[in-house]
Amino acid sequence: MLLEVRDLHVEFKTRDGVAKAVNGVDYSVDAGETLAVLGESGSGKSVTAQAIMGILDMPPGRIAGGEILFQGKDLLKLKEEERRKVRGAEMAMIFQDALSSLNPVLSVGDQLGEMFVVHRGMSKKDARAKAVELMDRVRIPAAKERVKQYPHQFSGGMRQRIMIAMALALEPALIIADEPTTALDVTVQAQVMDLLAELQREYNMGLILITHDLGVVADVADRIAVMYAGRIVEQAPVHDIYKAPAHPYTRGLLDSIPRLDQKGQELYAIKGLPPNLMAIPPGCAFNPRCPMAQDVCRTDEPPLYEVSEDRTSACHFWRECLNG
Amino acid sequence: MVESIIEVSGLVKHYPLTQGILFKKQVGAVKAVDGVDFTLNKGETLGIVGESGCGKSTVAKMLVNLEQPTAGSIKYKGEDITKLSGRALKAVRRNIQMVFQDPYTSLNPRMTVGDIIGEPYDIHPEVAPKGDRRRKVQDLLDVVGLNPEYINRYPHQFSGGQRQRIGIARGLALRPEVIVADEPVSALDVSVQAQVINLMDRLQNEFDLSYVFIAHDLSIVRHISDRVGVMYLGRIVEIGRDAEIYDHPTHPYTQALLSAVPVPDPEAREHRERIILAGDVPSPTNIPSGCRFRTRCWKAQERCALEVPALAIPSEFRLTSGPAAHDSACHFAEEKQVVPPEEPPDDLAKGRE
Repeated sequence: MLLEVRDLHVEFKTRDGVAKAVNGVDYSVDAGETLAVLGESGSGKSVTAQAIMGILDMPPGRIAGGEILFQGKDLLKLKEEERRKVRGAEMAMIFQDALSSLNPVLSVGDQLGEMFVVHRGMSKKDARAKAVELMDRVRIPAAKERVKQYPHQFSGGMRQRIMIAMALALEPALIIADEPTTALDVTVQAQVMDLLAELQREYNMGLILITHDLGVVADVADRIAVMYAGRIVEQAPVHDIYKAPAHPYTRGLLDSIPRLDQKGQELYAIKGLPPNLMAIPPGCAFNPRCPMAQDVCRTDEPPLYEVSEDRTSACHFWRECLNG
Repeated sequence: MVESIIEVSGLVKHYPLTQGILFKKQVGAVKAVDGVDFTLNKGETLGIVGESGCGKSTVAKMLVNLEQPTAGSIKYKGEDITKLSGRALKAVRRNIQMVFQDPYTSLNPRMTVGDIIGEPYDIHPEVAPKGDRRRKVQDLLDVVGLNPEYINRYPHQFSGGQRQRIGIARGLALRPEVIVADEPVSALDVSVQAQVINLMDRLQNEFDLSYVFIAHDLSIVRHISDRVGVMYLGRIVEIGRDAEIYDHPTHPYTQALLSAVPVPDPEAREHRERIILAGDVPSPTNIPSGCRFRTRCWKAQERCALEVPALAIPSEFRLTSGPAAHDSACHFAEEKQVVPPEEPPDDLAKGRE
């Protein structure tokens, strides 16, 4: 297994109390595999990713427990210096907003080349040549001329390609993409997702794709982990989950999206709002919004039930949910 | 009989680009909207889709008179509102209201919800006499599904979805006939989006509203719209009833756009044809000659660079009465199914066995 996250807990200290952003997350990714982490804002999907990358703001953040095993070593036990060697070279991240993730006062060539200068000790000239090569790889036209340009001179889709190039630079084993296409238009989104999937296959990388878009997930993922209030409520191979969800939250999400190929009547709407992370309801966190909730859901937190060999659900009534 | 309520023709908005400080010389123009025609019928929802920069939001702003068009007319019940001023303009504005995209920045953080929703009454006091306002605002809160007792709360005390409900309540305050909604749900989470869309659906029936619904999300637009217009670089390239556009698109841009939308069904992954467009949208300061889509179109020929295609029923479909016979601005329009056909409902399929 390339990456294994075990029982991860992350908290944030705020003026009003402790916000429990991640409450016992387990997931794993293999080389060449795409795991989609699906969730709404505040579900803890990005915080988990930041903890894996080691870019969590601490304080106010704090890792309250758990392990992150990457190629067998626990990243949380490494010193910051060792961690820095892993970051970028072994695992890399692609952010949502490429414009604010790139440095506006450095040319893209300098930013791409910096990876090679810092991690590989290359000369500036060699690094520049590498940068051009990378820009070619992500199919930026006229790479030789454009390497001298600054981020604002590129379109949104091109900037996201530069982010991808930067993540790929040192050929990491794992890439975490946090909403990589959310800020892009559909036609450009399709180009970028295609490119990402192709490069992943070529380098046989593990990919964690963080998104809220059920359509994107269906297009590229092998497996899905659905997060709610800092926990994974359901984890399954992509085909199974769309056919028959085993958690009422997943079912609600699937029913609430309008479909391009169907002119629906009234949409199903999950009632209520996601919980306040400083006061997560006792029992199952989803119980106040759940149409299937019983008394037991308000008192006992559901464990991860094994639905099948490669599938889990954190719902006391997963059987009923699975059968509709 | 269908009665039209808004008729837009030849609508143009150019923002001049100038050079020099003292003597400003116009060196070009951002052609945000470059000749748009459409009709909004009473009680219907017209969806307008397009990618960022296609001019859809500028059209919205001109409809509610927040921007003055460079040319063209917007007729509300036969009267050109771009030429109105003073009292006549005020009366028309009452009837065309707007709901904005971002519920976080479109509500004044220093005003209570009651003041925000009641503010339209300060401008149009004839709608609600002073003593009656509080009750009216509470009624509106109730209509959009918020607790009427929240009237003294401030926007930061609400979630994004609730804030969008406040924005909708404000839009409804003057009992308008038309609501222009510019990306009303794109800032919301998936589970909350459905709540707001259902609310807008319900209000349309309750208050007999006509909507202009602007969004980039094609699935949402299909769900809510009766007719759909597709915009590209300042012009409508194809317009028709929702099934005509989604199931029988004839313009290559619409086909590419639809084929690029991810469908939440992993089974569709293998057998779905994808049209991946090359390159980016050209700059609106430098629009290609002829058909503006030709630089990204796989069908483009010489004729496309010379002749601007008109938005009309393409000649090959003119004599048929099928769903392909709708307005499409392409010289080489042809039908192509890109969205997988709707599966028959389960019980129907079972009945056949």
